[in-house]
Amino acid sequence: MSTLLNAKQLQRSFHGRPVVEPLDLQLSTGDILGLLGPNGAGKSTIMRMLCGDLAPSGGAIEIGGDDLLQRPLPCKRRIGFLPERPPLHQDQTVDEYLTDCGYLRGMDRSACKTARLQSKQQCGLESVGSRLIRKLSKGYQQRVGLAQAIIHDPQVVILDEPTDGLDPAQIRQVRELIRSLAETRGVILSSHILPEIQATCNRVVILQDGRTVYSGDLSTPASPCYRIGLEQDPDEVLIAALSPVTSVERLHTDYFRVTLKTGANPSELSRLILEKGWGLIELTPETLSLEQRYLQATTGGES
Amino acid sequence: MIRRLAWVEWKRVMRTPLAWVMLAVSLCLLSWQFLGTLEAFVGMQTGDRILGLTHHLGLQLFGLAAVVLFIITPILTMRVFSEAFRSGTYTLLSSSPISVSNILLGKLFGILLLQLPFVLMPAGLSLTLTTGTTLDLGLIAAATLGLLLLSALYTAIGLYLSILSENPAVAAAGAYGILLLLSLLDQHTASGGFLHWLAWPSHYLNLQMGLVHSSDIAYFLLLMLFFLGLSYHRLDQRRCG
Repeated sequence: MSTLLNAKQLQRSFHGRPVVEPLDLQLSTGDILGLLGPNGAGKSTIMRMLCGDLAPSGGAIEIGGDDLLQRPLPCKRRIGFLPERPPLHQDQTVDEYLTDCGYLRGMDRSACKTARLQSKQQCGLESVGSRLIRKLSKGYQQRVGLAQAIIHDPQVVILDEPTDGLDPAQIRQVRELIRSLAETRGVILSSHILPEIQATCNRVVILQDGRTVYSGDLSTPASPCYRIGLEQDPDEVLIAALSPVTSVERLHTDYFRVTLKTGANPSELSRLILEKGWGLIELTPETLSLEQRYLQATTGGES
Repeated sequence: MIRRLAWVEWKRVMRTPLAWVMLAVSLCLLSWQFLGTLEAFVGMQTGDRILGLTHHLGLQLFGLAAVVLFIITPILTMRVFSEAFRSGTYTLLSSSPISVSNILLGKLFGILLLQLPFVLMPAGLSLTLTTGTTLDLGLIAAATLGLLLLSALYTAIGLYLSILSENPAVAAAGAYGILLLLSLLDQHTASGGFLHWLAWPSHYLNLQMGLVHSSDIAYFLLLMLFFLGLSYHRLDQRRCG
């Protein structure tokens, strides 16, 4: 997978007050990176810097191999941005607006028309093309905002709170759209809603007061902990004696939390348990939920 | 990209009733002035005619056209940036592959394109007389050039004020203030002084009378570039500040 976006030591301060402290970000094709954090954590500022709307106070941003600060125009051609408040001209129809957006991104008239039809189809806007934007519901306006962000087929799509104001059915559609966009692109989205990030992203950066407090892969377990259920009820000492195990904790009768050695394979554990004849009825990886991580990171509290 | 942005800006305003209402009202006012000037000239005794018909048109018709531009320009420019900042649509431009200078020039030419009918209207009305009389076409061309330079200056000032405030009404009020100040500066200042030079009426008057001085053209261009420079600085500051 090629690296689409690479931000190094990105930082920003307003009037001497740091709003984003040095941050490293990487985005590859297929990635859906979530920026998660409470309001005022610096998510929107980071997104505005990544799309070239705001100059960083320090650090560098590379998009498709070009430096955003040195060569902004080719970089911006590779970016589609939906800000928190969709940048809509309320007095235009959806078709007029999307045509203008394509035109401003350097597309010619015929390419604009094709791209407009495609982005409308992707965002479910086929039936409202001739309607004035101000007459549309908030959900539809959000979709128009999404359509303008992808009309020029950008490699990197940056979406600030993309599901804000949508009903549950629309949220599901937008999530599907984001997943389909990420098949050939990289997507960065922000939210302060935990399930939103959990349902859509494969990587997350948790922010608190402009600092990165957690950055990791959502699909990989954070700790080598497994919950095992056994038909027999062997002594904990016997389980701890198994070669891949470092510690054992009894949760309740027949159920244990087992921590494996670094690099140990859980299939080795299951093979040993079966050899002992303890009757393995459950082997479940115990990952920290995003909520636990979020709470740990932002409050320092126990999950 | 400047052409594209200017075209988009022009289309967007022309879709609203505002531009059409202003065009209709301006055409009525200028036609009234044109007919009045013509009637007054025809009614004059030959001995009273110190100036020719084209001079009368230059002074009165093009004089009113300058007033019309004075009134409509802040109305056209007040929303260009302030509304875009307030509604968030400026992000659409700042995240698109367009440089700050091109955004500024695109907006400037978009507004100038909107003003073009207002600028050409007096010349168009005057030229209707060519079937019946001989006009000084050079004077009409000079006065039209003056009107074009004046509209460019007004637009540059209006855009700068629009960048300064997120409230369109405040932007318009500020633009009217500066335009009025530049109109009145020659009234209580010493002739030949810098403040006197800063006022536009005397520079425009030369062009109205068919006198094309490079110093007058330089005045309009310099002042326009000054306000464009301030606008560029302010827009860049907004990104970096």
